[in-house]
Amino acid sequence: MRRMALPERVYRLAMTILPPDFRERYADEMVDFARTRLRAARELGAVAVMRESASLLADLARSAPSLWFEERPFAVTPPQRDDMDILVQDLKFGARALLRRPAFTVVAALTLALGIGANTAIFSLVNAVLIRPLPYKDPGRLVLVWGTQGSQNNQGVVYADYVDWRRQNHTFEEIGALRGQSVNLTGAATPDRLIGNFVSASALRAFGARVEQGRIFTDRETELATMAPVALISHETWTMRFGADAAILGRQIVINGTSFTVIGVLAPRMPTPMFSETPDVMVPIGYYPNAHGLDRGTRGIAVVGRLKPGVTIDAAQRDLQAIEQQLAKMYPTTNAGTGAEVVSLRDYTVGPTKAPLYILLAAVAAVLLIACANVANLQLARGASRARELSVRAALGAGRMRIARQLLTESVMLSLVGGISGAGLAFVMTKGLVALLSPLMPVYPDTIRVDGVVLLFALVVSLATGILFGLPPAWKASRTRLTETLRTRIGGGLHVRTRNSLVVVQLALSLALLASAGLLTRSLLALEHVDPGFDGENLLTAQFRLSPSKYDSPDKIWSMFERTIAEIRALPGVESAALVRASPLSGNGESYPAMVEGRPAPRAGEAPLVVVNPVSTDYFSTMRIPLLAGRDVASTDRTGTLPVVLVNRSYAERTWPGESPIGKRVKFGDDDWRTVIGEVGDTRHYSLNESQLLEAYIPYAQRPQIFTSLVVRTQGTPTDMVKPVQQAIWRVDRDQPVWRFRSMERDLAAVVSSSKVSMLLIGLFALVALLVAVVGIYGVLSYTMAQRTHEVGIRIALGADAGRVRRMVIGEGLQLIGVAVAIGLVASLGAARLLRSQLYGVAPHDVVTFVVVSVALAGVALVACYLPARRASRVDPMVALRSE
Amino acid sequence: MPGSSPKSQLPLTPAVLYILLALADAERHGYAIARAVEEASSGDVRMGPGTLYGSIQRMLRSSLIEEVPARRRPADDDERRRYYRITTFGRRVLDLELQRLGRLIRVAHDKRLLGGPGVA
Repeated sequence: MRRMALPERVYRLAMTILPPDFRERYADEMVDFARTRLRAARELGAVAVMRESASLLADLARSAPSLWFEERPFAVTPPQRDDMDILVQDLKFGARALLRRPAFTVVAALTLALGIGANTAIFSLVNAVLIRPLPYKDPGRLVLVWGTQGSQNNQGVVYADYVDWRRQNHTFEEIGALRGQSVNLTGAATPDRLIGNFVSASALRAFGARVEQGRIFTDRETELATMAPVALISHETWTMRFGADAAILGRQIVINGTSFTVIGVLAPRMPTPMFSETPDVMVPIGYYPNAHGLDRGTRGIAVVGRLKPGVTIDAAQRDLQAIEQQLAKMYPTTNAGTGAEVVSLRDYTVGPTKAPLYILLAAVAAVLLIACANVANLQLARGASRARELSVRAALGAGRMRIARQLLTESVMLSLVGGISGAGLAFVMTKGLVALLSPLMPVYPDTIRVDGVVLLFALVVSLATGILFGLPPAWKASRTRLTETLRTRIGGGLHVRTRNSLVVVQLALSLALLASAGLLTRSLLALEHVDPGFDGENLLTAQFRLSPSKYDSPDKIWSMFERTIAEIRALPGVESAALVRASPLSGNGESYPAMVEGRPAPRAGEAPLVVVNPVSTDYFSTMRIPLLAGRDVASTDRTGTLPVVLVNRSYAERTWPGESPIGKRVKFGDDDWRTVIGEVGDTRHYSLNESQLLEAYIPYAQRPQIFTSLVVRTQGTPTDMVKPVQQAIWRVDRDQPVWRFRSMERDLAAVVSSSKVSMLLIGLFALVALLVAVVGIYGVLSYTMAQRTHEVGIRIALGADAGRVRRMVIGEGLQLIGVAVAIGLVASLGAARLLRSQLYGVAPHDVVTFVVVSVALAGVALVACYLPARRASRVDPMVALRSE
Repeated sequence: MPGSSPKSQLPLTPAVLYILLALADAERHGYAIARAVEEASSGDVRMGPGTLYGSIQRMLRSSLIEEVPARRRPADDDERRRYYRITTFGRRVLDLELQRLGRLIRVAHDKRLLGGPGVA
């Protein structure tokens, strides 16, 4: 061959500025062309050659930009066609392509329907709880105000402080007080216990209480000095308890022994901001039964406020804080170290559900991502078999972008089919979710539904999904060197790297989900194994509250209690029974700052807080709380005898380390000095996952209060004893309502049930994810092996044994799994950080969980690899070679 | 291409017009096209390979011209050379473009803008 002349070589080099496609097609001819020109110029002399060379190079430089430019999508398809035309054509073509492969279409659409449906269902929950505004007028300006004492936040507010806030603030349009408390409704067929709210008129205005009949309270009716016995009842109470009495306004009802006039019926489902339940009845706050409840120094009321327009929470906080500082100067004994804390009502209401909901949403989104990766992989597998079809289309004049666009249209069509089925599924799934989760959500169950917003979400997710799983194949198609594909006989190995990455992503995400589910499971197990400190089996609890007007002295209260407990203990089927002011896990309880005799009084707000619980005799034996030292409460511990107290082990160890607490003297709040007579075991009081509280028990007889709980150890099923216990109480006082009969076993189960639900859901998502991912890795390996049948056949023909082939295939699977586990573990750590608030008794980086889920994932994935490996090892070399 | 109107192609760039003209009477390969264009324009239009093949690619895509199937090429020709011919569509476009130019010439003529030879 003749040596290439220098100008020609330069020309070839210069041609690299042209698009590769173009070069590939025309380079030879162009060089030919240039050579002919140069040859002609050479006859005219060196100057002509120079001029010709320059002109050739200039020509290249001139044409390069437009050639590259034509690679861009918008300039691809002259003759220019209407975008709508292209879309319609693509849609038709896509529909045909999908219908031609019904198996693929059904599998892909189902996968997507599941993913999109689950996302939509979870979103309907998120929408109802976190997105939809709270059911009040202009809810963005509603706030709650807590009191603070020293380092303790979230305290109830002192009524007198509230009065000063109301008078002196500059930032609130309206600020009101309310207190929730169950009330006795008497005078009807049976005595009844209702959910009561004690409120100020300003509180009703603040959150915008609406009435359907009558009116709300006036300020005059709720001021302490001028209060009037008027009541508002809920729509539900009006219809269910008063038979929708048309003459309800003006009717007298007896609440806690006092007669009130009904002046209004609230609109249906009118909630109050603090309490999840709609109150049955509202009366002015001055009627709050505990006489000391509204004094300065006694915390306990809730404060709701409506900020003036444009006022921030911070500004309101500073405003109230300034007032508090003044109050501290005026009333140093009661107000030193106190403050106010303003929080948005929204945060208060939905705050606790936010984290679990976002976790669910993240988990279900991960499932959808995995599903996307799977469908993308299916598409790519098809894409490979379609490569020739696409190449032909390209050769017939379809531009790359045109083909990519076609594929994308097809993907989006597929995802929309999936989305529509998914939305249908979401209706069903949402129903299931409501049944499972609504007790834990701060909204009415029927507000959790698939509505326009949710459907819009489903649509957006479907489109995004379609684009997401459609992009890799479309991108691949736009990059494929068409001429190459046409020349090779199969599109084998074309997308292997992309498909491998997708499988790695799937496995890694599955691992993160599995790890999350694992952590939640361990957390749940830890919670279930928490020793509550008492025996919850066969234990019945109930509550009752005496009417303060009927039982107006400690003696009257105690004698009623004594007779009642005697009646109950005498019942057949009752092993033992006792009274306690606040039974464990009931949510009730009172804490007081404690002082120890002979030690300096701690500064305000720094004294240890102790849960002080009045109990009757036999409480510890009924609850099976061990008595560790000293003696139990005796029937001789009464008013007038030595004030005594029992302490729990934690309190004893913290206050008198290494010493016996017996005989020491302590004081809670402004109570008397009490002598410690015994030490008992620790119990969990408010929740199972609380850190151990300091507890003290005082004899009920030494401090009788109108509210009490009953604990009854039964011989058989506790709930069988509800009727007899009720009758026993009514034998003592036939007007005494009793409520909240509960089996302690059920209460204990309920505590873990919310954790159980999120664990189950995440676990379910993780399993689905694992399944999809495993199908993914199986698919990829099977596919690669099928592409390599020829190679495997040759290997076997050359003497490789079956084991070796298997090892080769599994080795490739292992590489994918290894990379996936590495990435997945990092993702898991991230997921665990999100989960932190939901975990109990297990660290977010729990090694055991991570190892177990990694091994499990790798194991399952390996099984998925084994099948294609076995198939490959059984390739008959003759068949394999012939098939090519 | 079916569905798109020949009118939408107008006006043609000089290169495209000359290539269509060059192919109007014969099937030619790339270099032959360039030569024909050069001759037809009395050397005024001298296309380089980039311009030529760039135009050819564009014209192929818009179906103005097509490649001649290999078996119909002259037997002794260089194998690498591809021959092109004008399509029916291309002919319609060329026809329309020439009519358009003809009308322009007539207008110019009527306005006496076109002098005889020798008039600047």
